[in-house]
Amino acid sequence: MKEKKRKLKLKEYSFRQNFYGYLLVAPAVIAIVLLSVYPLLQGIWISFLNYDMTKASSSNFGTFAGLKNYLVIFANSKYRNAVANSVVWTLVNIVAQLALAMGVALVLNEKLKGRGIFRTIALLPWAIPAAISALTFSALYDTKIGVFNAILIRLGIFKEGYSFLGNVNTAMPAVIFANVWKSMPFLMIFILAALQGVSFDMYESAAIDGAGKIKRFLYVTLPNIKEPMAVAVILNVISIFNNFNAIWLLTKGGPLDSTEIMYTYAYRQAFVDHKFGYAAATSVVIFVVIAILTVIYVKMIGAGRKE
Amino acid sequence: MKRTKLELAVLYILSVIIVAYAFLPFLWVFMTALKSPEQIFNMNQIIPTYITFDNFKQVLFHSNFARYFLNSAVISIVVTIISMLFAVMAAYGFCRYHIVGAEKVKMGILFTKMFPGVLLSIPYYVIMRKLGLIDTHTGLIILNCSFVLPFAVWNMCTFFVQIPWEIEEAALVDGCNRFQAFVKTIFPMAKPGISATTLYCFLMSWDEFMYANTFISTAMKKTVQVGIRDYIGEYSTEWGPLMAAVILSLIPVIIFFVFVQDNLVGGLSAGAVKG
Repeated sequence: MKEKKRKLKLKEYSFRQNFYGYLLVAPAVIAIVLLSVYPLLQGIWISFLNYDMTKASSSNFGTFAGLKNYLVIFANSKYRNAVANSVVWTLVNIVAQLALAMGVALVLNEKLKGRGIFRTIALLPWAIPAAISALTFSALYDTKIGVFNAILIRLGIFKEGYSFLGNVNTAMPAVIFANVWKSMPFLMIFILAALQGVSFDMYESAAIDGAGKIKRFLYVTLPNIKEPMAVAVILNVISIFNNFNAIWLLTKGGPLDSTEIMYTYAYRQAFVDHKFGYAAATSVVIFVVIAILTVIYVKMIGAGRKE
Repeated sequence: MKRTKLELAVLYILSVIIVAYAFLPFLWVFMTALKSPEQIFNMNQIIPTYITFDNFKQVLFHSNFARYFLNSAVISIVVTIISMLFAVMAAYGFCRYHIVGAEKVKMGILFTKMFPGVLLSIPYYVIMRKLGLIDTHTGLIILNCSFVLPFAVWNMCTFFVQIPWEIEEAALVDGCNRFQAFVKTIFPMAKPGISATTLYCFLMSWDEFMYANTFISTAMKKTVQVGIRDYIGEYSTEWGPLMAAVILSLIPVIIFFVFVQDNLVGGLSAGAVKG
């Protein structure tokens, strides 16, 4: 800590001496306030207004509506369906991704020949744009040309192409599978980075003490990677919950709302039905969930920094 | 702790499965792009018996794809330049001056990165309609900055903290002014961080779909991520050209991967975990 103070000698504390500092920080901060903070506040404000774009000429357009928008959406069964789907979508995604990412990271952490290439290829799905991975999976799932159907027909399991995305029972598993493929590598990077921080000596001394593989994983590996892993999980839950492309581009929330999550529901309210007030109210609920998760995330990395 | 031969064999088999899982969808897209329409609709031909470049020719010379690619490139480059310029300035300011409440401001910036786009897009629509920015590239550039800029600031701050700043002070003592000192001593050291962040900013903007899909309606103004869906018709999809377009749209992504691959594991996770 003392050394750090000395290092930052140029940091004097009066405003005049730091004038250029404020000048340098100002453009970014002002831009972020204008681009994010101001729209956020306005979005929250719209959620309390009568703001139906299809009735923009009516006399009460833009007037204060109190909690009306919230009460209307909470009473809507489609909204409650979207909330339930959001919970399923987020939980299944994170559990599947975490289990898979852990397994993949453990394998790719071994000193194998060609490890660098294995890692690079394992990361590829994460690097490609969400819109492109959705297109890829819509082709893979297709009834006429899709490779999944081609294989299943050849194996004699199906007689003709089965519409994975068009069936109420399989649509949600299908979009989750596609998203796990796309997002799991991101979690894997974090776990891999954390695993590299676990020293080899600790395994060795545990092995000498007679700990088997499973015990070594439970008592040496896990405790050492659990903090960075928790951070990565929170970050991933935020991005899963906030995900629009992975669902909208494959099913648009259908069939029969079976894949409609809160995010796609809010988007539909806003830009398909043009009911901005309801859309804003739905989005504010999303924001509250994200805000809670973000506060946890910030606390976690803040604690890591103080150590 | 040597691995036995059996363990090694299992590990290699698992590695191959992981690679196949990650890579086979790409391979299949690539093979589909090289097939003729009869081959694509023949369920028994997973691997093409002969290949054709007709799909690529059609995408490049007989569709709007090149235009979409150019639109995306221009938008992403402008977004990246603005964001990086502001971010490097801000990161330097945060790192080298005493800004009141700097930590709180930085955390606030991190927080804005998490704002749900759908909540912001509603006021964006209202504001942009007032300013006449709907269906313009200028509007889209501003919107993309809303999530690229906070990321860039946060990432540059984490890189700048790790730099040994005594060197800059030495240059100052030697008679450089602060700008010269930065360009001559700090910039070369910060280059890996700056270039990785620059590429990542470009990619974030390149990948963006929701705002482009919502706020751009004129066909010729579309970005790649939106325009690529032209091949999907209401009743039928031109799979061959679509898959060829997918491959072509991945070119910037592949370039990014080649550049930052070396320090990917450490570099990308550092900013998020250590803060």
